[in-house]
Amino acid sequence: MKGFARRLAGQLARGLVMVWVVLTFTFVIISIMPGDPVRAEYENLLQQGYSPEQAEAQAAMLHRFRPTGSVFEQYVDYVGSLLRFDLGQSLYSRVDVATVLADAAKWTVIPVLLGTVLSFGLGVVVGVYAAIKRSSKLGDMLTMSGSLLRGIPDFVVGLLLASIFATLWPILPRQGAVNILYEPWTVEYVLSLGYHAILPVATYTISAYGGFILAMKSSVVTVLGDDFILAAELRGMKRSIIFRYIARNAILPLFTVFALSVAAVFSGAIFIERIFNYPGLGMLLIDSIGRRDITVMAGALLLITVAVIIANIVADLFYSVIDPRIRRAGDRV
Amino acid sequence: MTLATAAHAPEGGTTAPAVRIRDLTVVYKTPAGELPAVSEIDMDLPAGTITGLVGESGSGKSTLALSLLNAVQPPGRISSGTVEIDGLGDVVPLQGDKLRRVRGGQIGYVFQAAQNSLNPLKTVGKQLLDLGRSHDVDDLRALVSEAKELLGRMGLDGARVLDSYQHELSGGMRQRVGIMLALVLNAHVVVLDEPTTALDMITQANILEIIRNIHAERGLTTLVITHDIGVVAEVADQLAVMYGGRIVERGPVRSVLGEPRHPYTQGLIRAIPRLTGDIDQARALPGRPPTLGTIPERGCVFRDRCELRMSVCDTVEPVLERHADQLVACHAVAGQEPDGGAPTDDGQEQT
Amino acid sequence: MTSGAPTGLSTTRGDLRRNFWRGVWRVLRRKPSRLLGVALMLMFVVMATAGPMLYQRPLPRDPDNFFAPPSLQHPFGTDFQGVDVLSLVVVGSRYVLLTAFITAVITVVLGTGIGLFAGFRRGRLDAVLMRITDINLTIPGLPILLVLSTVWQFASPWEMGLVLGLLGWGALARAVRSQTLSLRERGFIEAARGLGLSTPHIVFRELLPPIAPYIAMNLLMSLILAVWAQVGLFFLGVMPVIGENWGVMLNRAVFDFGAMTTAARLPYMLAPLLALLLLTVAIVLVVDAMDEVFNPRLREE
Repeated sequence: MKGFARRLAGQLARGLVMVWVVLTFTFVIISIMPGDPVRAEYENLLQQGYSPEQAEAQAAMLHRFRPTGSVFEQYVDYVGSLLRFDLGQSLYSRVDVATVLADAAKWTVIPVLLGTVLSFGLGVVVGVYAAIKRSSKLGDMLTMSGSLLRGIPDFVVGLLLASIFATLWPILPRQGAVNILYEPWTVEYVLSLGYHAILPVATYTISAYGGFILAMKSSVVTVLGDDFILAAELRGMKRSIIFRYIARNAILPLFTVFALSVAAVFSGAIFIERIFNYPGLGMLLIDSIGRRDITVMAGALLLITVAVIIANIVADLFYSVIDPRIRRAGDRV
Repeated sequence: MTLATAAHAPEGGTTAPAVRIRDLTVVYKTPAGELPAVSEIDMDLPAGTITGLVGESGSGKSTLALSLLNAVQPPGRISSGTVEIDGLGDVVPLQGDKLRRVRGGQIGYVFQAAQNSLNPLKTVGKQLLDLGRSHDVDDLRALVSEAKELLGRMGLDGARVLDSYQHELSGGMRQRVGIMLALVLNAHVVVLDEPTTALDMITQANILEIIRNIHAERGLTTLVITHDIGVVAEVADQLAVMYGGRIVERGPVRSVLGEPRHPYTQGLIRAIPRLTGDIDQARALPGRPPTLGTIPERGCVFRDRCELRMSVCDTVEPVLERHADQLVACHAVAGQEPDGGAPTDDGQEQT
Repeated sequence: MTSGAPTGLSTTRGDLRRNFWRGVWRVLRRKPSRLLGVALMLMFVVMATAGPMLYQRPLPRDPDNFFAPPSLQHPFGTDFQGVDVLSLVVVGSRYVLLTAFITAVITVVLGTGIGLFAGFRRGRLDAVLMRITDINLTIPGLPILLVLSTVWQFASPWEMGLVLGLLGWGALARAVRSQTLSLRERGFIEAARGLGLSTPHIVFRELLPPIAPYIAMNLLMSLILAVWAQVGLFFLGVMPVIGENWGVMLNRAVFDFGAMTTAARLPYMLAPLLALLLLTVAIVLVVDAMDEVFNPRLREE
């Protein structure tokens, strides 16, 4: 397990560096933001009759750094408190940023996971088929559909789906996550949740699926040409067993594709939630930028970064569980 | 077939099946139409012998070997002929599950050593179990101990090898695992495709010895395909030389190597210093072997590289004729010894 | 740029070049779709360079004709001020194409430079550069761009292109590095060293030419990415909705004027979308043709 632990340590170290880069970036943005929002908050509090100490403490609680300190002190305070997961309060609603983020995260994570898993499954099945039938017309068309879909960005897919199923042929809701008139967790409420999720989930599925088809197809074609498949055939192995050999070997490279697509999916969530007015992290990021709610903005960016890092690590773990060449590297000579 | 019989394989090869190939033609589909890679071949693998099949790359020897399992890969196909194996009948018409059971069950195939013939994601042991399940072996435990015994006989630590992944084994070890997998189900006809290519000299010698020993112990009928005439000299009883999809000479190894008749066989042997003994006498065969598209439609396939070329070679394809111990397909050889022998029964003119 | 000739591949010998162009022509003729791609590409370039000069500013308005349906006079109808939608598309193309071009150039220069350098020097420097590349690849670019837009408006194509290029060079750097390493494995660099050639000569004369076709294709592919990235950014409406470009049009159509709720206003949204799709198709077709010019193995099929 030595090689495995080393991989994990490397991944974590890279993740920490990324978090640090992002934190520094947001700090710089907040510092140079026109109107100096932290300073403005402080002066506002002074005018409301707070003592300078009280005002400073209040502003620090909101922003994670003291308005009167030197830039270096502010930076240390800021990075330090965020690394302790102390994200401050929303300037807009005065609610803890962590609470705001948790509320929004579920609206992003569930549809994104659903859409990604759907498109992964669909892409893998269609990709295998396209690989086996690669010399036929149908296989050609499936591959073409993959390239085409990969070339079209998610927001265009979202716009087209919305204009077809919500505008020209209005059978699906275009806005929001649920009909707010229903009481939470009644049957109607749950149905309405599902109903509202159809278009966003479909958009995630369709826009990710092209990439998975193409990756799976080329992977299967490579494995089909591998010697051990012919060897298994010549040893008279059962079809089902050979199919499992192909599938497991072919799916392996897809975990890398999967990991790389996570960042893209979060970018996609920003567009898709904006189009469908879905109250997830992407929408939260856009709203917080519009309101200059910088604590929420910084928190959302940090959370997205951490999510991308975690997804990468998870994909890497999966990869090493399934591939003995990595799992047992370093264990034996 | 139970494993108990596998462990006590008959000695001496008395019950080993013989293989009879008749009029076998394998064609490949190309943009220029269907081109033959193997043309109207007749060949016997006598029961209990090791037959060596020698030829340059592209001579059709691997295609011929795959035909034994009816496993020619598309775009190729067997267009005519029969491959009869004692106890099985003709394998060419076999299909589906029946064919699958013959492969591995009755005919073992050992891949070229340089190729990765194992699934990289599973241990050898698990692939052995997959093999057992594919062939409905009831007693998987007996299969494993049989495998361990075979590996042990080849000088490996069976338990450890079964617990290893392909990337943890050396080339020589992989090759022994391949031999084990081909034999563990008690196959009596074994095809070895370039069994020692890409192995170092010591491992090569080792593998060849293993092949000889196991062949004798189990009384197998073995076909060894190689481009290395030295390999054949060490293990084979019979030798067939292939060129351009045809067998140009065959016979007992000692007579073919000792007194090669076909100019191609002579050229092949001259090219190897190991056999001639003197490196100064070693002479490379001039020219290049034909590819699918350049095999001449009429006449002798070897005439472009032949020192003894005659005008008849351009128009008439020579057939295998008996000269002393061996069969040779060459007009020049036939002309030297006009009374060398009558055409054999399986060498009827077909053009 | 217009016919798929990579700038890095120009040889000094005239006959080689003529052969190359003859090959290009043969490849184009084999599939009419490729000719179409080149034609579309040319059309967009002309549209972006000369198009904006055809219209007087501000664009003429037709006050009695808001959201007019498509007609002969206004092929894509008019917008909320009665401005011809087609003219908006033509005028907006300059920002879109110029930004995309700048982005692609920066991506290629950074990606090739870093990849070549890392692969050529290897060792610790290579390790550090590849860690940076990994971060560039995994970092969530769009959220960072959005946050950045609070202090920077990306008003000119140069600024937008610079930022997009800085965020997008990772994949190319990684690919160029591995190609450089494989050239090294084949003994290219050692052989050149043995001949006493200088480092710049080795890098620019020996290493760059074999990977130039790959880089040229990447330039085109990153054009597509850059087009969609900037349009998406403006479409979201986080940045001030000003200036003339397709993203701004899409944003107005979807979020301000209900192109998604009123079917009659759909053409206003579909016009820039159609332009974007056509541009993408054009680039993909040109890439397809280039692929065959540079990989003759595919020609036989």
